Amino acid sequence: MQQAETTTAGGPPQHAAGVRLREYETIFLVKPDLAEDLVDKIVERMRGIVHRDGGKVIKVENWGKKKTAYEVKKSFRAIFIRFLYLGDTKAVAEFERNLRMTDDVLKYQSVKVADDVEAATRAVEADVKLPGDPEMPERAGGREPEPFGGEGFRDRELADDAEIPPEVE
Amino acid sequence: MSDMKKEMAFGDRAGAGGRSGPSGGGRGGGREDRGDRGGGGGDMERGGRGFGRRKVCRYCADNNLKVDYKNAADLKYFVTERGKIVPRRISGNCARHQRQVATAIKRGRNVALLPYTVMAHQ
Repeated sequence: MQQAETTTAGGPPQHAAGVRLREYETIFLVKPDLAEDLVDKIVERMRGIVHRDGGKVIKVENWGKKKTAYEVKKSFRAIFIRFLYLGDTKAVAEFERNLRMTDDVLKYQSVKVADDVEAATRAVEADVKLPGDPEMPERAGGREPEPFGGEGFRDRELADDAEIPPEVE
Repeated sequence: MSDMKKEMAFGDRAGAGGRSGPSGGGRGGGREDRGDRGGGGGDMERGGRGFGRRKVCRYCADNNLKVDYKNAADLKYFVTERGKIVPRRISGNCARHQRQVATAIKRGRNVALLPYTVMAHQ
């Protein structure tokens, strides 16, 4: 994808030397059956929104179509997009407002990554596109092996704890 | 690692007993516990219910390792089969990292990288 070198193409604002912004990260889930060019369209639109609000997009990651841990809007898969950008509260609010309005976006979450980042010197990173999970027949009960022992070992361990009778000598 | 295995084996055994009568199994473990404690301070190694040596916090042991809610593979380690957060006394995390892990898991749940709950059947 476009190797955004500091400021080009889409016209991100040039930040003066002293401008300090917060760094945010927003992950949003897009409907799994959405065509790739439409996903890119959403990404570019969101990029424009960050720039319009005086922010700066650092990096956009497309994680591809991944299995979700639980059913989201009747589907167990979704396309994950991660935005890393500088901005203020207004930028985040506007970003989230637009995600909410986009019907193809299922879920989103914004997290503050860092305070007080010098906007002019924060280097823009290349966008990343990952292939996502291998396509497999969707199974409701599809589960991966868990790291610990037998089924429910840990839960049982926890439950037992509540049942320890009071100490009697 | 070998400690880990021991712990698991013990847990399985206790669980097998507990399945027929959960409270009975729990009590049995408790009695053993007390016996050890009565024996004096030498219960560090085999004391409690099959805990091995207290583990060191994974994140303290490795400075390069950061708690990251996006890294579902790592966080899975701190979640039970049913999706519950593993308590500190079992995970071995230090207080600070346990807090970070807990928030990370909650964030991960929110973006469907980790489950809120996993059904018990099957």
